[in-house]
Amino acid sequence: MAAFHPLVASRVHLSPLLPAAAGPAAAVAAGLSFHRRRFSAIVAAATAPTATEFDFKAYMGERAVAVNQALDAAIPAGEPPAALHDAMRYALLAGGKRVRPALCLASCVVVGGREAWAMAPAAAVEMVHTMSLVHDDLPCMDDDDLRRGKPTCHVVYGEPIAVLAGDALLSLSFGHMASMDSYPPDVDPEKHPARVVRGIGELARCIGSEGLVAGQVVDLEMTGSTETVPLDRLEYIHLHKTAALLEASVVIGAIIGGGSDEQIERLRKYARSIGLLFQVVDDILDVTKSSEELGKTAGKDLASDKTTYPKLLGLEKSREFAEKLLCDAKEQLADFDKEKAAPLLYLANYIAYRQN
Amino acid sequence: MALSSLFAPLPLPLPKLPYTSKSSRFVPIRTSAAAAAATASPSFDLRRYWTSLIAEVEGELDAAMPIRPPESIHSAMRHAVLPGAGKEGAAKRAPPVLCVAACELLGAPRAAALPTAAALEMLHAASLVHDDLPCFDAAPTRRGRPSTHAAYGTDMAVLAGDALFPLAYTHVISRTPSPNPVSHAVLLRVLAELARTVGSTGMAAGQFLDLAGATALGEREVMQVLTKKFGEMAECSAACGAMLAGAGPDEEASLRRYGRTIGVLYELVDDIRSASGNGKMRSNASVLRSLGMDRALGIVEELKAQAKAEADRFADKYGERVLPLYSFVDYAVERGFELQDAAAKP
Repeated sequence: MAAFHPLVASRVHLSPLLPAAAGPAAAVAAGLSFHRRRFSAIVAAATAPTATEFDFKAYMGERAVAVNQALDAAIPAGEPPAALHDAMRYALLAGGKRVRPALCLASCVVVGGREAWAMAPAAAVEMVHTMSLVHDDLPCMDDDDLRRGKPTCHVVYGEPIAVLAGDALLSLSFGHMASMDSYPPDVDPEKHPARVVRGIGELARCIGSEGLVAGQVVDLEMTGSTETVPLDRLEYIHLHKTAALLEASVVIGAIIGGGSDEQIERLRKYARSIGLLFQVVDDILDVTKSSEELGKTAGKDLASDKTTYPKLLGLEKSREFAEKLLCDAKEQLADFDKEKAAPLLYLANYIAYRQN
Repeated sequence: MALSSLFAPLPLPLPKLPYTSKSSRFVPIRTSAAAAAATASPSFDLRRYWTSLIAEVEGELDAAMPIRPPESIHSAMRHAVLPGAGKEGAAKRAPPVLCVAACELLGAPRAAALPTAAALEMLHAASLVHDDLPCFDAAPTRRGRPSTHAAYGTDMAVLAGDALFPLAYTHVISRTPSPNPVSHAVLLRVLAELARTVGSTGMAAGQFLDLAGATALGEREVMQVLTKKFGEMAECSAACGAMLAGAGPDEEASLRRYGRTIGVLYELVDDIRSASGNGKMRSNASVLRSLGMDRALGIVEELKAQAKAEADRFADKYGERVLPLYSFVDYAVERGFELQDAAAKP
């Protein structure tokens, strides 16, 4: 990992939100009006923070390469049935930013662990994420033909294989995480097994009928209903559908890294905030960006009459809410080593300021 | 025919056995005292043992799946795993029984194996729910009542399966007495074993091969599908029971072979019975068509001999505790009793 100067790191912490790129507007603004302006910085064009002190882009790029290698190696290549393994690889190695694995690795490091300890769990959460996308795209669910510009798994391999490939990825994630062969030799032989057991418990809970699946179920039940979804219900869906797996990623990283219970709970709060933030930003982007900018169909939520934050709160209030979530997330990082917390800080910023 | 096939080379019923130890796969039946006693022994009543275990496992399953919000998914999950009122849709629970029996054979308490036994049923049910989907077998019923997608919709059935997989791991972790007597390291081996068994080289591979029409090909393919779909689940059940009881490598390997053999045996006998019109209806008639009845009966004899030979390994050391293992073999072949009225219905 790229080392960086502690002084620089402290600047990272002190100048979190308003990026230099906000430029003259921010410079003239002062006091309350400054504060006010910060709200609209979220998802407003060209105000994303430019990473200078900590090279976030390089950090994410390096992690994506390492995670992709781990994912590639985890699939039992060469073992039959080839078509099933092909379908799993097709879905799993289709690219993507690997945000969940990055969160897992970063939170292992922030509590004092070595990044390599968390590589297997990082791969596992990406497998679960992929599996949920494969099943989500099925004709009986969202019925999507395209994912990241490529035909979806069931379009290429057929529905039954897509169901099986999803199931197999889910099993692989748990098997990969549970197997001691997946970890480097320098883990603490006394404490590591108990940590892995606890981590697997977190993963299972966060994706099951009280986690990810619960969010999908409530979302399904809302779809087709003409009534507007109330705010608390919308939050329930997002906290489960999106935030739960981010929570698992972060919490498992912290457990494997040997974090204290207090540290783990702080990071859990951080994850829940950025998980909700992720969706709020998604909703804002859908109404403010063109399809071209997003790389997917824009205005889809409006067209399908889906309940979104802008619809319930209005655009400006949605941005304020996003801002609050970002602050909440950052607050949880305050007591950690600033240098080690930089990736988590930048991940939160990234989720808030992404343009697609 | 049945006899002569005992001396023919094994038809590879068990491709790629992980632990083929000193004695070849082909162990001649050893007529031990325990084996002789097995069929006649009044000291072990398999039916009673099995029935009481079904009740215990279902108690675990019931407690592990309370109806809580969102209600629809929890209700769909219960539908997939638990029998309804009046025991409609009751299941035999063979994997959990095998798991507990392996654990008790080695002298460990039943409580060590029960959570894993229940988890095996959750995983099993999850794969059945997906196997019944319209894009697969399109089965409208399962165990005599509407399949999960028929009762709750296809989308809910996909999600119910997706939720049952993680619930199985949650259950093992939260309910197994650990770290004492079951260490965390053993718990991880059990979790990895469960995941591998239902994964891309295990049951999912079996479903895939079945889907690809492998059962219409030849003996090799048929046995492979039976091994992947049914043998590996039984192997996993016995292996988990062994691990949870702290088995050594040799005992674990032997119980694995025993489990795998009995899983295939059980299923093959099912197919034979359904083809000859005396068991429950199953759609796997192609297995019999591929093998031919004579060859199928021959393989049954071979598998039976193999399973008993594995059980024999434990007879001297564990005495009467090995009786359940022998009894399962006989039951798998003869189906000497009905477990529950409902379970026997189509």
